[in-house]
Amino acid sequence: MSGASCKANGAVYPASSAMMNSVKKPKMEQIQADHELFLQAFEKPTQIYRFLRTRNLIAPVFLHRTLTFMSHRNGRTNAKRKTFKVDDMLQTVERMKGEVNLPLFIPSQNSENEQNSVSLEVLLVKVCHKKRKDVSCPIKQVPTGKKQVPLNPDSNQTKPGSHPSLLVSSNEFEPSNSHMVKSYSLLFRVSRTGRRDTNGLVNGEANENIDVTDTPSRKKRSSSHRDEGETTETFVAQMTVFDKNRRLQLLDGEYEVSMQGMEDSPVSKKRATWETILDGKRLPPFETFSQGPTLQFMLRWTGDASGKSTAPVAKPLATRNSESSSPMETRTSNHRAALMTVKESVSTDIQTRKEQVLCEPRQKLRIFYQFLYNNNTRQQTEARDDLHCPWCTLNCSKLYSLLKHLKLSHSRFIFNYVPHPKGARIDVSINECYDGSYVGNPQDIHSQPGFAFSRNGPVKRTAVTHILVCRPKRTKPSLSEFLESEDGELEQQRTYVSGHNRLYFHSDSCMPLRPQEMEEDSEDERDPEWLREKTATQLDEFTDVNEGEKEVMKLWNLHVMKYGFIADNQMNQAIMLFAENTGAHIIRRNLCRNFLLHLVSMHDFNLVSTATIDRAMARLRQIQEELPDIEEEQQDQTVVSAGFLELEN
Amino acid sequence: MFNTNRQKIMDRTDILNQEWKTRRIQPVHIMTSVGSLRGTREVIPLKTLNAVASVPVMYSWSPLQQNFMVEDETVLHNIPYMGDEILDQDGTFIEELIKNYDGKVHGDRECGFINDEIFVELVSALSQYSDNEDDEEEEEHDFKVEKMELCEGKEHPEDPPALISLSVCLSVCLSVRYKELTEQQLPGALPPECTPNIDGPNARSVQREQSLHSFHTLFCRRCFKYDCFLHPFHATPNTYKRKNLENQVDTKPCGLDCYMYLVQVIAERAKTPSKRTVGRRRGRMPNSNSRPSTPSVSSETKDTDSDREEGNSRCQTPVKMKLTGEAEAVEWSGAEASLFRVLIGTYYDNFCAIARLIGTKTCRQVYEFRVKESSIIARAPAEDEDTPPRKKKRKHRLWATHCRKIQLKKDGSSNHVYNYQPCDHPRQPCDSSCPCVTAQNFCEKFCQCSSECQNRFPGCRCKAQCNTKQCPCYLAVRECDPDLCLTCGAADHWDSKNVSCKNCSIQRGAKKHLLLAPSDVAGWGIFIKEPVQKNEFISEYCGEIISQDEADRRGKVYDKYMCSFLFNLNNDFVVDATRKGNKIRFANHSVNPNCYAKVMMVNGDHRIGIFAKRAIQTGEELFFDYR
Repeated sequence: MSGASCKANGAVYPASSAMMNSVKKPKMEQIQADHELFLQAFEKPTQIYRFLRTRNLIAPVFLHRTLTFMSHRNGRTNAKRKTFKVDDMLQTVERMKGEVNLPLFIPSQNSENEQNSVSLEVLLVKVCHKKRKDVSCPIKQVPTGKKQVPLNPDSNQTKPGSHPSLLVSSNEFEPSNSHMVKSYSLLFRVSRTGRRDTNGLVNGEANENIDVTDTPSRKKRSSSHRDEGETTETFVAQMTVFDKNRRLQLLDGEYEVSMQGMEDSPVSKKRATWETILDGKRLPPFETFSQGPTLQFMLRWTGDASGKSTAPVAKPLATRNSESSSPMETRTSNHRAALMTVKESVSTDIQTRKEQVLCEPRQKLRIFYQFLYNNNTRQQTEARDDLHCPWCTLNCSKLYSLLKHLKLSHSRFIFNYVPHPKGARIDVSINECYDGSYVGNPQDIHSQPGFAFSRNGPVKRTAVTHILVCRPKRTKPSLSEFLESEDGELEQQRTYVSGHNRLYFHSDSCMPLRPQEMEEDSEDERDPEWLREKTATQLDEFTDVNEGEKEVMKLWNLHVMKYGFIADNQMNQAIMLFAENTGAHIIRRNLCRNFLLHLVSMHDFNLVSTATIDRAMARLRQIQEELPDIEEEQQDQTVVSAGFLELEN
Repeated sequence: MFNTNRQKIMDRTDILNQEWKTRRIQPVHIMTSVGSLRGTREVIPLKTLNAVASVPVMYSWSPLQQNFMVEDETVLHNIPYMGDEILDQDGTFIEELIKNYDGKVHGDRECGFINDEIFVELVSALSQYSDNEDDEEEEEHDFKVEKMELCEGKEHPEDPPALISLSVCLSVCLSVRYKELTEQQLPGALPPECTPNIDGPNARSVQREQSLHSFHTLFCRRCFKYDCFLHPFHATPNTYKRKNLENQVDTKPCGLDCYMYLVQVIAERAKTPSKRTVGRRRGRMPNSNSRPSTPSVSSETKDTDSDREEGNSRCQTPVKMKLTGEAEAVEWSGAEASLFRVLIGTYYDNFCAIARLIGTKTCRQVYEFRVKESSIIARAPAEDEDTPPRKKKRKHRLWATHCRKIQLKKDGSSNHVYNYQPCDHPRQPCDSSCPCVTAQNFCEKFCQCSSECQNRFPGCRCKAQCNTKQCPCYLAVRECDPDLCLTCGAADHWDSKNVSCKNCSIQRGAKKHLLLAPSDVAGWGIFIKEPVQKNEFISEYCGEIISQDEADRRGKVYDKYMCSFLFNLNNDFVVDATRKGNKIRFANHSVNPNCYAKVMMVNGDHRIGIFAKRAIQTGEELFFDYR
């Protein structure tokens, strides 16, 4: 099923360029030099982000709607979950059967619309090869039909069959005798006699040989509309069917074409690239869909169309938002247009032009992108009522979200928000400090190094324990966080995201540090295993120290190493702790006298008082009494003999 | 189709692997396709494992949180391997290296490859397997042949008779040697200089110095440890003066058998001393004579007797013993006697306490024993003669002059900093002949000089954080001494990390949590876990402390490796973190670093502290200037 609904941007912006007011033309060389500099600065990162955008469309790493600052993109509710049953799924599927599941179009909000139909004329334009004598390419226009189409139809009422259709014979695409036809394109011309308000839907049905089963199309509020009174208004749009290499450009599908006013729409074949200034005219492609009139139609190559229809259908890709889709090709070019820039000096011109828009019922937020490069040379681009990211066309819907997205996803640039009376200005400059270092969740690179960036399908991520907070205290989103900071420069130089964005390793084993091991220092200990062993062996090596002394010395050394005593005045405390901790061991090993010798020695070094010796020994006695079966464990004769002596006394 | 695709994949992988090789990523291997037996082509999903980035090279090292002093190496322990190329192209380097060690390389033995130890081990190991004589003989033969071959480098004798005759004569020599060696190793035989265990069955009655000898000589007064890792020379406590004369005697009798009752009796009818005790002592002697005892004991006893006969001026008590008569039945074991002598040197006349500590004797018995031994017992020292106590006012003035002196010292200090060694020159003030003074070091609490010594550092009396030059300790590049600086908090809160004094971080080991990861610059790098403020202590640079000469020798090898962990500590010593160290050793060099190193005097030791040069954020890599 070819339900690809596409916005034919390719056809759009030659026309839209005409919408722009002409501006003063600075000297050409100057423009060119400036242009070079601009390209130098912004071309590479822009292309990178364009590529990344495409990649993310095909294989998204995450969904934008899951981001906290993009939560408004999440349209679904969980209300149904409570009543959900598995059978519901079946029912849903059954209900869907038979229904034509074409996205129909939002009816215009404009209820004061009086006219409900306009006339649509479809012409086949053949651009022929230039012959030597010709100045420009000869163009042949072949009218294929004229139909009345409904304007802003109610999508609920329209049925697929009810739309007018046009048929273009395939013969038209045969090479004509006089000229070699270079390319074919369809020219839609909608004319209406109307009043001042031209808002409405043009419902066109074009049928070529390729028969275009129609769908309603929509004309929205036209901002560029200036004429008043009972004049006939004409809107045109052009779409290429075969390009000059005779490749089929127009496949089966549903199309929505943006229409342009006739008076300033030369049918120009010049392609706009994002960096070119088209005759000094401004090109606001985003607005055309949201504001300009559009024509919707469905195109189908019918079976008798000599096998041309076998052309594979391009897979539709989700763009911008779910309500429309377009092939990649047009998307990027659309994007280019978004970056169309105008010198700041020019912007006053834009202002005057924009004044007219102000009369509109809804105040549109305007965002000016000001590109800073080459020592503060500036270029400004305006995006009107458009909170799409210029690099990845993500609809952020809110200014805060847009800024946050720009900062987080496009860190090759530095973005600074400047409040503007009409909306916002965003200063864009190159982030010189961008180093490409990983700024994602470090946990993802922890468990399976190398898998983190895998795009070959789902990857099992590291299990990480996070503290979940119910209604966490998030700082209220405030635009002030994007303002250029006062002491500014240093802060700006750093990457926006700081922290542990790399894989750490254990210093002893060089094994990757797992997230749960982050908190403890792997080689923190004052007394590492090897050092404890070392002190024991070192003491064992002495031949003139007896085993009892050695044992007490080892115990004491381990004790000091464990607690890391550093001061003389800690010693009394250290001794008591020693007696407390190792008392039982000392008694079991029958080291009491050696322990006493140690204490006396410490006293000789002036480190402990006799009172401490007394207390430590008393504690030892106490522990001895508390020990249950001390007698059994002690096989030493001394105690026995001591006991004997006591009896004797 | 599949094959062409596969060819493409192979080509791509080759290119990738080439690239990855240069970037040190493990290459990817592709599974080969499997043609089935029946000739039909089977499709197998190609599963490529993801490349895993390899980590930088790390040579093994031991973790350490405090410096560790090692001796100079007199032999080259191993010939460093630096890849075949270097060995091939630059043999002279190794030669020079060996020359540094006077041509001595570890493992060189006079006799070739086998020494006594290995020999004994080998024979005993072999004898386990020998069921009869013949087997053993055979084994021995093999062993001998081997030994002969390797030791003398001779060729294997061709004819068996010659071999046998040779081996027979060898076996005789060897068996003699083996006996010699094994007999020497009889268990239980203590070397004569060792005092028997006081808790053991063989405890002997010995003098106080002998009992405490091991404790005194091995104890490091600076580390509070026995045979510490840092200070090769330990001062014995003999010369230390008692600060606190705690020989106060209990005024109340400790029990029924308290010596005080005796003393009271004596006071009533004090009369001539008895000489009976001698005999009793002799009676005890066989006990200790049963094993090879030190001759000093018996001679000591004689001395004692003669001494006592000369008359003991202080104690005239033995009368009582005779009167009570009980004492004669008391038998003093060697351990008890030794213990008594030890304790009497500490407690003097506090017999109650001594008895309590000995545990097996009553106070009265102790007292009586003391009477017997009275002459050899050290007296409670009188007040310190050499240093009269100073007056308080003078002390304060002294402190002020000290502070000024520190200032002067700081200003005039050259970059020569010498290692501190506690001075020990009895009865001489610390003047120009004192090693501390000549090395421009302060005397520390470990010095044997008086605590009033002019060269002592007085410590600070700050009430603030000791992190400005207002603090004399900070000014003198010293950490606050917890035994000197009593007001700043360096001596408080041992268990918590919240010390008001910020100038005692190294000694307390208040380091920051560091994390290891491949560096953004070169090799490994070290990253900080939590953010730190400017001038905050990060970690101590720990390692082996080696002499400057040793550092020169080691440095030659490290230079060749292009990787050195040497850090100059002072004029005498260098810290080498190559073999032992802590994580900060991975900090890389930078000309624009975020840390700086400072050698500080910390309780008598020079130690290297790494501090933050500016505020450092979470996860930043640490650098300091190596120069």
